[in-house]
Amino acid sequence: MRRSLSRLLAAAAVLMGGSAAQAGQKLGDYLPQRAPEVVYAKVCGYCHGRNIGPILLGRKLPVDMITLVARQGRNGMPAFRPTEVTPAEMAALAKWISTAAPRAEEKGK
Amino acid sequence: MSDFELNRRGLIGAGLIGATMVGLAACDKATLAPGVSKADFAGAIKAMRGVVGDEWVFGDPEAVTPWKKNYIPDPEGRHVPVGAVAPKTVEEVQEIVRIANKYRQPIWPVSTGKNMGYGMATPATPGQIVLDLKRMNRILDVDPELGTALVEPGVTYQQLKDYLEENNIPLWIDVPTVGPIASPVGNTLERGVGYTPYGEHFTFQCGMEVVLPDGQVMRTGMGSIKGTTAWQAFKWGYGPYVDGLFTQSNFGIVTKMGMWLMPKPPVYKPFMIRHDDMADVPKIIEAMRPLRVSSLVANCNLMMSASYQLAMFKRRNEIVPDGRPLDDASVKKAAKANGLGMWNTYFALYGTEQTVAAIEPIIRAQLTASGGEVMTAAEMEGNPWFHHHATLMQGGLNLDEIGLLRWRGAGGGLAWFAPVAAAKGKEAEAQTKLARGILDKHGFDYTAAYAIGWRDLHHIIALLYDKSDREQEKKADACYRELVSTFGENGWASYRTGVNSMALVAEQYGQVNRDFNKLLKNAIDPNGVIAPGKSGIV
Repeated sequence: MRRSLSRLLAAAAVLMGGSAAQAGQKLGDYLPQRAPEVVYAKVCGYCHGRNIGPILLGRKLPVDMITLVARQGRNGMPAFRPTEVTPAEMAALAKWISTAAPRAEEKGK
Repeated sequence: MSDFELNRRGLIGAGLIGATMVGLAACDKATLAPGVSKADFAGAIKAMRGVVGDEWVFGDPEAVTPWKKNYIPDPEGRHVPVGAVAPKTVEEVQEIVRIANKYRQPIWPVSTGKNMGYGMATPATPGQIVLDLKRMNRILDVDPELGTALVEPGVTYQQLKDYLEENNIPLWIDVPTVGPIASPVGNTLERGVGYTPYGEHFTFQCGMEVVLPDGQVMRTGMGSIKGTTAWQAFKWGYGPYVDGLFTQSNFGIVTKMGMWLMPKPPVYKPFMIRHDDMADVPKIIEAMRPLRVSSLVANCNLMMSASYQLAMFKRRNEIVPDGRPLDDASVKKAAKANGLGMWNTYFALYGTEQTVAAIEPIIRAQLTASGGEVMTAAEMEGNPWFHHHATLMQGGLNLDEIGLLRWRGAGGGLAWFAPVAAAKGKEAEAQTKLARGILDKHGFDYTAAYAIGWRDLHHIIALLYDKSDREQEKKADACYRELVSTFGENGWASYRTGVNSMALVAEQYGQVNRDFNKLLKNAIDPNGVIAPGKSGIV
């Protein structure tokens, strides 16, 4: 029963598009493509929403602008290169930030 | 939003379409390295595309923009790369090195290029192609029993921590202040520090794989022994110990690095000691030294000035109006309102309940006698500065220090000046006085800390300025050079510096030392293609 439940959950994760995007890194493997929520949590969210960088979520910022600023950095913000956030990750991330709902727990302007 | 300038021709292309493959016409405007012709550069770029694929070679000024960002003063625009190439394997690195030699095209290796306040990915001299190793991001081995890891240069501290947590391995990492996006390899090769007992990163490095300037691959320590199981266990190998030659240098490209990881202790207890006066510097150092030398306090402490602390989470004009000097009285008032002293010294105890309980009274007595207030989580719960340091001292991740970039205007200017001293109160007192005098003269603030090592001090001074103000950038550049030179005249030199001042700092260490480095460079890299100008070595 327990085994079939875990299989079911694994299958659900695949259907939800979570498979490679959600998986952790395995020893000896390259970092798999990360989902936008993961990139936000592991990179952007250390500053944005923590009183360091401006709030991004819930502001309906244009995708082009998000991409531009992330790639070149702005003022005190470092630049994030295609080697750090891959082109596919950046495309998904910018779209996700642009349409994400605001988070009450985030702090800043 | 109207203040954003959308340059659609440039970065959007790089970001959305992936790496660009624009032609070489634009390189007409770029400054190529001495002795490199446009044809050489074009030949190198073409050959590199053949190795890593078109999408991972960035050969024109617009596509290179993400590698140009830095915080350091560069009024003459010397630290601008002309290209970037991003291999994924050691074999690709070898091929790129061969191409660099063929075309005499210098390459500037970076791991993740997040050497904040030291130049990020930008090179020491004009005309270099950044060798961006971030795509080499495999964690190759973690041994939970020995507490060791073997990683590639593109692995970030975030990746390593995630791996350990996802696999329930009770080992800690030790992070610099920008851990999530920086790499253990890059930070260790720069001889950076962190804040757990494993904070002296190069001390806890064990074994390297290096691509030499002739394209050969060498493994250090035990790594060249066929079938060895001790590559990450025994540092010294046999014969001359060479790992140090590949730190802060340009003698090879490190493609794998071993490191030791600290077992998570049963008890972790962070402390903060508040002292109320700027003049308390010698008292604090004298009180801390015996605790550090004896290892009763085992981690690298940070003794933070109130101004540095405030600059992380506040803006300067919240403390004093724009244009006014940052006076001690205003800083003290703001510090007090935020639960801070004029100096705030952070350390932690690590061990079992019994060992921590045994050591704590000794430490409390020593630091109380120095005039300090001893604070713990019980008193500091909810204080963001205490939280920041309590996170770092257990290898936790944050990017709070990026807040420093907003201290003065919006332009994001930062250059770390980091002279070393022996851990003596009088030395620190004299360094603080000298630094404040030079910074005051140029109109900058003393936003500084002392990292108290075993027997040394790293005096870490954040030169914060507004990089969007060209005049201020020039002043910051002049101020930085005066700091280096004047400290040198007084017998003090930096443990590490930014690409803006590598030759100047090398000068402080003397002609014999520079000649020796040059001798090695000429023997190991006769074409001078690996990172010319690194640590002043050309």
